[in-house]
Amino acid sequence: MRALRRVPTAAWLCVLVACLNAIAWSIITPPFEVPDEQGHFAYVEELARLHRLPSSGTQEYASDEQTAIDDVESWRINLQPLQHALASRAQQQKLESDMASTAASSSAGVGAAGVAATEPPLYYALQTIPYELGASGGVLYQLALMRLLSALMAGVTVLFTFLFVRELLPSTPRAWTLAGLAVAFGPLLGFISGGVNPESMLCAVSAAVFYCLARGFRRALTPRLALATGALTAAGLLTKLNFVGLVPGVLLGLALLAMRSSRTLGARRAARALVPALALAAAPVCAYAVINMLSNHHTLGIVSGTLASSAGHRSPLGEASYIWQLYLPRLPGMHTDFPDISPTRNLWFNGLVGDYGFEDTFFPRWVDNLAVIPAFAIVTLSLREAYMNRSALRRRLGELGVLLAMAAGLLILIGASSYLSFPAEAAAFPEPRYLLPLTPLFAAVLALAARGAGRRWGASAGALIVVLFIAHDLFSQLQVIARYYG
Amino acid sequence: MRIHDSHRRYRTNTPVTADPRVALAGGLALLAAAIAVVMLQSPLVLAGTNVVRPVNVTLGSVPGAGSACQTGETLPAGTTVIAVSLETTAGPRVAVTALSGGSVIAHGESASGWIGKVVSIPVAPLKRTVRNVTICVSFAGANELMLFLGVRRPTRNPARSDVGVLPGRLSIEYLRPGSSSWWSLALSVARRMGLGRALAGTWIVLLVAALMATSIVIASWLTLRES
Repeated sequence: MRALRRVPTAAWLCVLVACLNAIAWSIITPPFEVPDEQGHFAYVEELARLHRLPSSGTQEYASDEQTAIDDVESWRINLQPLQHALASRAQQQKLESDMASTAASSSAGVGAAGVAATEPPLYYALQTIPYELGASGGVLYQLALMRLLSALMAGVTVLFTFLFVRELLPSTPRAWTLAGLAVAFGPLLGFISGGVNPESMLCAVSAAVFYCLARGFRRALTPRLALATGALTAAGLLTKLNFVGLVPGVLLGLALLAMRSSRTLGARRAARALVPALALAAAPVCAYAVINMLSNHHTLGIVSGTLASSAGHRSPLGEASYIWQLYLPRLPGMHTDFPDISPTRNLWFNGLVGDYGFEDTFFPRWVDNLAVIPAFAIVTLSLREAYMNRSALRRRLGELGVLLAMAAGLLILIGASSYLSFPAEAAAFPEPRYLLPLTPLFAAVLALAARGAGRRWGASAGALIVVLFIAHDLFSQLQVIARYYG
Repeated sequence: MRIHDSHRRYRTNTPVTADPRVALAGGLALLAAAIAVVMLQSPLVLAGTNVVRPVNVTLGSVPGAGSACQTGETLPAGTTVIAVSLETTAGPRVAVTALSGGSVIAHGESASGWIGKVVSIPVAPLKRTVRNVTICVSFAGANELMLFLGVRRPTRNPARSDVGVLPGRLSIEYLRPGSSSWWSLALSVARRMGLGRALAGTWIVLLVAALMATSIVIASWLTLRES
């Protein structure tokens, strides 16, 4: 509680903005139009009804969920950008009548969890609370309440992003607020956190881990902080498998911090801080491995399966080349894996500008082109600031290395997963939402940009960046409204 | 005295800070104006389609480069976008050509980098509707399988691709600019937003507006307070 009282009011206001924005998104996006929301809902349903993890990855949902999906006509709208949501009162009346009858029925059973079946259970376990609270109202009430819980997680993401930037740039309070507000209005975070999707919690947990490490580098690795980092790592691993990508960077960070502590506190005290943290972080992985071994499954479930497929899937050099080209320009001598597109620009940048719905709602191409201008200005200003403070950066190379290792780990994980489907699919997984765990780093770049504008223009640049994100958010919402209700 | 003052101001070396209120107010005013201008535009509306619901299925696939043609299409007057159902994860440039009596009556090309199940290709509008048109799509440079999507059913005019006759017709939709602006459609959009959800009703739009307005007010106040 004392720690919470020390959080600045500005941070709480940023949290409030993030929650309000995500709630707005949860209303704007029609039911089951957030990626894989049907599967995530089904996972929660199975957990709540049978108290067990889903075992089937098919898309045969429980009858009440299937009725809701049929009535809101998701099958017609998903991936068909010219198809709009319900338009008539008759459709609404049928929906309401079906919801009332399925809510009253006790024979809905359970179904499979679709693509969500392989995910760890923490987020879904939390979602059973709103699921149970809304049980009397039927599937759409439950879904609305579950979306609200996700929206709260957007607030947590923003809180830790604010605190992370405060640790990075302690002398510039203005930059903390700017970073918090920019992230709070981030439309992709709002969209994902406005739906039932474990990425909302993954972002929150990742932001908290970033904060803990930054705090450790600025102050020291206390046993409490180490334990918190370990607990958060465990929570991340139990939230979504993508968190695995951040783990090498987290371990590197803990190792560096322990080394620094051992110089001042002695090796024994440093080890006393580190070992419980590592044990806590590894606990869910060990438990998962034991459960799988006892039930004759792959030791690490889908991760083992993926590693095995990856090992048998052509050359490691080919994979390295593919992952490189997924983010960076092709080097001489590399095979051309993306002959007609620039993944950096077309998949990542344009996707971050706008990629909503079931990856079926985008801005017109001219908007993507226009967005290059502010993006270029922000990157230039942040690089200028980094250059002006290069001596301070040199002193913090270890910390910088850890942050880059966390980012690189996630990018490599996404690339490796995508390579499994290559070349049948050129870019199966490069969806910008998978970059959301790196939100604190984006926020740090924005904060640096505001500082890079100098003392005279810094406050104005900060205000303009906030307006830019408000504009991005509002136009994204209008784009989604036009797509579904236009 | 005045000289002394200006001298002192110069010596303190404190730069004059640009007023963030100007940036904030100017930015928000510009944003409001941009939204107003966008709302004056007309959305694209469906001018014609051959799409038969319920759902598109894969009719065939080609690796990397290919083409397909479909006869018996109707190209509505004023069409500015032809949307063809193809599926990819990193789409190459796709060209569409409309032929009537062996002559090209419309042609367009999409940008590369599209994803999903529909590629929208801009074309120059025609003044009149043309029937019995052959629509051809072609692409090259994809490093993956491109899927042709459509309706699988026996037909006299199936689509034909490089890999042979497809078991049905490609889904193609024709779009043209509507005659109503977003402003004039606002009420119908709001009514539609109120459907298909747990808490139904047009009031939901006001709730969204209130949430966003509150967020913007808080953010503006906070930005100025912290500047």
